Amino acid sequence: MIEIIQISRGGSGGVTGAKILAEAAMYEGLDAQAIPKYGSERRGAAVEAYVRFNNAPIRIHSPVYDPNHAMILDISLLDRIDISRVDQDGVIVINSKEVPEELKGTGRKVAYVDATGISQELGLVLSGFTLVNMTMLGAFVKGTELISFENLEKAIRNYWGEKRAPKNVEAAKRAYEETKVVRA
Amino acid sequence: MVVKQETKSMTGNDAASYAALFAKPEVIAAYPITPQTTIVENLSRFVDEGKLEAEFIIVESEHSALAACMGAAWSGVRTFTATSSQGLLYMSENVFWTGYGRLPIIMPVVNRCLAPGWNIWPDFQDSMAFRDAGWIQMYTKNNQEVFDTTLQAFKISESKDIALPSMPCLDGFVISHTTGQVDLPDPEDAFEFIGPYDDPIIELDVENPWAYGSMTGPDQYSKNRRDLMVAMERAKKKIVDVHKEFEERFGRSYGNGLVEPYGDDEADLTLVTLGTIGDEAHEAIDRLKVEGHSVNALRVRTFRPFPVEDIVEFAKKNHKLVVIDRAASFGHEGPLRIEVEAVLKRHNVDTSVSGKIMGLGGEDVPYSAIIDLAKKELKE
Repeated sequence: MIEIIQISRGGSGGVTGAKILAEAAMYEGLDAQAIPKYGSERRGAAVEAYVRFNNAPIRIHSPVYDPNHAMILDISLLDRIDISRVDQDGVIVINSKEVPEELKGTGRKVAYVDATGISQELGLVLSGFTLVNMTMLGAFVKGTELISFENLEKAIRNYWGEKRAPKNVEAAKRAYEETKVVRA
Repeated sequence: MVVKQETKSMTGNDAASYAALFAKPEVIAAYPITPQTTIVENLSRFVDEGKLEAEFIIVESEHSALAACMGAAWSGVRTFTATSSQGLLYMSENVFWTGYGRLPIIMPVVNRCLAPGWNIWPDFQDSMAFRDAGWIQMYTKNNQEVFDTTLQAFKISESKDIALPSMPCLDGFVISHTTGQVDLPDPEDAFEFIGPYDDPIIELDVENPWAYGSMTGPDQYSKNRRDLMVAMERAKKKIVDVHKEFEERFGRSYGNGLVEPYGDDEADLTLVTLGTIGDEAHEAIDRLKVEGHSVNALRVRTFRPFPVEDIVEFAKKNHKLVVIDRAASFGHEGPLRIEVEAVLKRHNVDTSVSGKIMGLGGEDVPYSAIIDLAKKELKE
């Protein structure tokens, strides 16, 4: 079982991203689950979502407490994740131009990309919020190597439909290409 | 032969709305309430896109939603709605009217606790409050079971020898808003399974006028209620039969449709559950087994009618039951525990019963909490 915790700000598309990630895992032949944590899902507020992949049916319905991997869609939320609970061999996927100071010297595997920059260049902005969800999925796929880019693309296309898919696929693809994976 | 199906990624609410879409109800009336809303949002979109030819009635409250469905059911058409929590409470007068009036309306209840405090997360207090309203109640453990149960509900409720409304229950958010995998049959295969509702239980006919809801004296009234009791008893066999037919066609089953046992036939401890806690308990049992503990489970899938015989049978083979309730009868115990204890006493089964109320207002019930409970019970 692979467990992922994702943190984002309401309005940036995190909940949708988690859903699409679960679908991509399904195309990979895995049983997958995406759980949005509802309650404080106001625009700008911190929103958590949890994703599980497994090669057998998932019978767990609880939130993820001890994730294998963490996805941080907004760098200002880094301190909202207890990194010590993330698996030592797991990847911390973060929307950042560089390895954040807080992670330097920790020896953690970090996958980072300027998702905000990519999304803004592609015009993925809605009501003042930069939509970094698809961009960060590209980074996640690159950083963790759990799902092929092809299956991610399939899930993105299926969700967004013909008209809106191209920009979203482009965002994921650019992040996939530009993400750097390092030991911090 | 099992029909072709396609695995899709969707939420529990999506699964409920697909079952409704495939059943082709002619009338849907609904009022939005979290966490039910996306079920009827989906259906409204299906109607708008022309995928579903149904009269979608927009109403001003849940009370009116069910009232509109009652009128439609009396006119002899397949009828669907859905609700949650305060919405279910607000329609309560009509919930009883529907059950006692034997109208085969299908209404998923996306379980959410009751205010105060204001809280949108799951427990079973809402549907448990309608235990005695004359509705079939089935509690589901995951997205797939939501689809399967909602589809089965049409076939059970619309049978002339049953004529009872159905309330498939699904944990709010934990199922309703969680994405998972659902094997969907072709719409035609799903529709063929339940068939058209072309020989209705009741049908308004201007050529042959009847009065509904008129003054009913004690003799006729008590006969009606006794008929309802007998219909509920018949529904047990119907649920089993429909579930078996479903398994033959779609290849999935949940115990016998009334209860779903898990693990060895006999164990030192038996967990009795409802809803997703039942699924989580399966995970707990496998982990306990690795540590050398002998624990099995009985998930009560159908709460009304209550599967007395199945519970008695299972309890007889076992030594100690611990019933996990996700609701409380204040001044007494959890409702499932009360009923399990009563049934065992009546049938002279001396298996001991204890219980724990967990998961109120969305309190998380992880398998680790179930493991802790089981270990404590095993020691006592």
